[in-house]
Amino acid sequence: MISLSEIDRKQAFRYMGLHGEPDAQMLETADNCEKKLLSAVRPRYCWNIFQKENLKTILIGQDIQKHLENCASVILFCATLSQSTDLCIRQAQTADILSGMMTDAMASALTEQLCDEVEKEILSQFPEKFSTWRFSPGYGDMPLEVQPDFLRVINAEKRLGICVSEGGLLIPTKSVTAMIGLSDEPLPKSKKGCGICNLSKTCPYRMRGVHCS
Amino acid sequence: MNIRERIKNHEFILLDGGMGTMLQSAGLELGGIPEMLNFTNPELITGIHRKYVESGSQVIYTNTFGANRLKMAKTHKSVQQIIRAAIANAKKANPEYVALDIGPIGQLLEPTGTLKFEEAYEIFREQIEAGQDADLYIFETMTDLLEVRAGVLAAKEHGNHKPIFVTMSFEENGRTFTGCEIPAMALTLEGLGVDAIGVNCSLGPEELTPIVKQLCEWTNLPVIVKPNAGLPDPVTNEYHFDADRFGNCCEEFVKMGAVILGGCCGTTPEHLRALADMLKKQKPVLRKPEIPAAVCSANKTVIINQPRIIGERINPTGKKRFKQALIEHDTDYILNQAIQQIEAGADILDVNVGLPEIDETEMMQTAVKAIQGITDTPLQLDTTKPDALEAGLRIYNGKPIVNSVNGEEDSMNTVLPLVKKYGAAVVGLTLDKNGIPKTAQGRFEIAERILNRALALGIRREDVYIDCLTLTASAEQAGVMQTLEAVRRVKTELGLKTVLGVSNISFGLPSRELVTRNFLTMALYAGLDLPIINPNTESMTSAVRTYKLLANIDKNAVDFIAHYGGENAQQNTPVKPQNADMTLEAAVSAGLKSEAGAITGVLLENTEPMHIVNQYLIPALDKAGMEFEKGKIFLPQLISSASAAQAAFEVIKSYLCEHSTETVNRGTIVLATVKGDIHDIGKNIVKILLENYGYQVIDLGKDVSYEAVAEATEKSHAPLVGLSALMTTTLPSMENTIKLLHERCPWCKTVVGGAVLTADYAEQIGADFYAKDAKETVDIAKKVFQN
Repeated sequence: MISLSEIDRKQAFRYMGLHGEPDAQMLETADNCEKKLLSAVRPRYCWNIFQKENLKTILIGQDIQKHLENCASVILFCATLSQSTDLCIRQAQTADILSGMMTDAMASALTEQLCDEVEKEILSQFPEKFSTWRFSPGYGDMPLEVQPDFLRVINAEKRLGICVSEGGLLIPTKSVTAMIGLSDEPLPKSKKGCGICNLSKTCPYRMRGVHCS
Repeated sequence: MNIRERIKNHEFILLDGGMGTMLQSAGLELGGIPEMLNFTNPELITGIHRKYVESGSQVIYTNTFGANRLKMAKTHKSVQQIIRAAIANAKKANPEYVALDIGPIGQLLEPTGTLKFEEAYEIFREQIEAGQDADLYIFETMTDLLEVRAGVLAAKEHGNHKPIFVTMSFEENGRTFTGCEIPAMALTLEGLGVDAIGVNCSLGPEELTPIVKQLCEWTNLPVIVKPNAGLPDPVTNEYHFDADRFGNCCEEFVKMGAVILGGCCGTTPEHLRALADMLKKQKPVLRKPEIPAAVCSANKTVIINQPRIIGERINPTGKKRFKQALIEHDTDYILNQAIQQIEAGADILDVNVGLPEIDETEMMQTAVKAIQGITDTPLQLDTTKPDALEAGLRIYNGKPIVNSVNGEEDSMNTVLPLVKKYGAAVVGLTLDKNGIPKTAQGRFEIAERILNRALALGIRREDVYIDCLTLTASAEQAGVMQTLEAVRRVKTELGLKTVLGVSNISFGLPSRELVTRNFLTMALYAGLDLPIINPNTESMTSAVRTYKLLANIDKNAVDFIAHYGGENAQQNTPVKPQNADMTLEAAVSAGLKSEAGAITGVLLENTEPMHIVNQYLIPALDKAGMEFEKGKIFLPQLISSASAAQAAFEVIKSYLCEHSTETVNRGTIVLATVKGDIHDIGKNIVKILLENYGYQVIDLGKDVSYEAVAEATEKSHAPLVGLSALMTTTLPSMENTIKLLHERCPWCKTVVGGAVLTADYAEQIGADFYAKDAKETVDIAKKVFQN
């Protein structure tokens, strides 16, 4: 199992819209939140590998098709920080809204860190393959509506306790589904840009001429 | 033979093995819905059942793991059709017993998810009613104890008294995905009166060994074990235990005392045959576990094997600020009371939300749900109204304490059956229609009467706690020792746990704390297990900790030193402004919460409350808001200032409650995160900022139905409604809410916000205002209310 011992604070501060150097009080809040969050998270993940043609109900939209153009097989994975993380965020929020916001942002940063680790771990099993960057439902024109089927094919409900709410959200909230294409041949470089992002119109980073990651 | 008779005779019962495994090898398509095979290929399903029967399985699970209305929504078959077909397919295989298999709903319950307890109950009820032709009901692979409770209650209330089995899935750390621990599962489900409990799936026989061992120590019920065939290979997902190894490994469970066995993922008829062969060589082991007095939430069990503090602060009696919070439905206030007490050392929290002006039944549910949403600490439901009590018991996740029953016939007849039905522990007050007996003997007799009645109803002796009642020393000085003598006798002669609310002892005396603290120590020595105190008063909590040290309960003084040794020593001095020169504006702008509260307290000594709001707080917030707009400070600093202002406001509110009828209200605003959306941090930030400016916010929370928003707006006649949504998928909910508001509350304006919203989209869905951040919402409120 993957263990996460440190939070990418810089990223968390960015998520919560804090620019420049945090002051002493902000750092103290961050220390408290980090300590509680790290003891609350229960990182888990599961994955399977599929032939691309078996995933017709999931690979919906032109963007994902293009993304996997040169790949014969696809890894589907799901990773989560688990329900205990949601509880930790709720607790922080009740005590103090700043801590709530900070804990939430830190958990988001940690989810990304978890995905990085999971990706590394999975790809280490396929050293001879070439891989794409990870693509999640909701990117570009891939609809979030595929989430229930996505979870079903990798049995994520039973294996991780994740479900999709009626509103189409993954619950526990700090959960991610993602796909990585695999190929025997080197893949052309493609960049994950803002064009594919649904938030590109309102993105505060873009407005300032920078990027979110 | 009826399966209950087999249980009574202490016989082995063999369940079946994996269904999914068999379907996959028969070529079930990827992501396909297995329940549909009950129609499309009934021969396949019956064939699998038959193979298990031939292997020796006595109980066949129907192919209905996901047959609930949510998971079957897209199949165009009703739950009734699917379940009836599945039962028929199982019966064709001629097993001794057909069990209606019920898996998790597939939606997480509130507060992590959006499914309400009552909805979960209805979903299960539909399955139970459709499955009347089965011989028993089995809930399996469950991970959320609250969901299990909803299912078990539905089966108890609509299942024609058929047997109920429950198995949950644990990880190697002994908890389910939701954090539920084994003692909590056992206490709660045995309390609810199910027939057998156990574990299935998630792990192989070897990993399940310590989990089954613990379960056997915590329940008198027959224990079920249905493991996977080892752990799956990470790449191929295949299970690696062959049949013989599986059968041999399960022998360990039989030795621990498990009597109902089967297989889960990866097991086949061959595995079950090996299991049957193993059982033929074994005899059921009789267990006699000694289960201690204990209460729990799903994630935490408190064993009453030493003094445990019950926090008394969630109670409006004599507290004007608390009453106001109840009337305003301000659950945040209650939650803060909960958190403070837990941090101060409470092991259990008493919850009393009774007030003539409010609907106590509704408030009890709201409070229990809210408190359990943020803490694991078990609760004591404190009410004199049977309706409110049952409402709380129904949705409580775990095993609570009921406070209270007394020796009167009426009380015993109403309260004890509820305690039995929901599997709670109960506090018995030693009084009856003649009042409180003066002597220890009189109180002892009532305690005995309550105990006997409880035992007759099937309530465990360990679940009856007796309160021998504290009288005030100033009025009845001679009664003090009678109370303590009664505590001693109840404890030693009846062997029951004891409860006492101690603070009453010092009423009408000077130096109350001194009197109460010493009485507490005396009571602990007399045998008090559950002191009901204000844990925020350090001298009380420390008296309990000291007693535990001196009574050799806190071995090597570990807990005592942790609290009072060296650098961690707690100071119990009231907060005073540390920097005498600091102004309220400076404290708010630096985001110093406790400073802001303390300075406000000092200011109130000679300044009008509203003057503080208008001349100090709001200008400080305005300044922070301006700096935020100019990009000099960022959202976190703005929130930090808002938190400090909130602390100042709380001091003012408490002051107003005590000293006048005046309240701060510049206008009423309804806030909600729309239906389907559970992201509420943005909405909560807006709320705090609005409250800081003196607006009264009716916060409906997250995932709020259109109707609930309209209803609250109608009721309060609020001129402004704020709606938040974070996801593109929930924007239609926002639009629908606005539509309904236009119909039902044409007077109100709407302001919308959230990450995915734009001004254009806001206009398109008919909102009056779009706020890009919390600060702008305040500006819009000022405009709407013209203040």
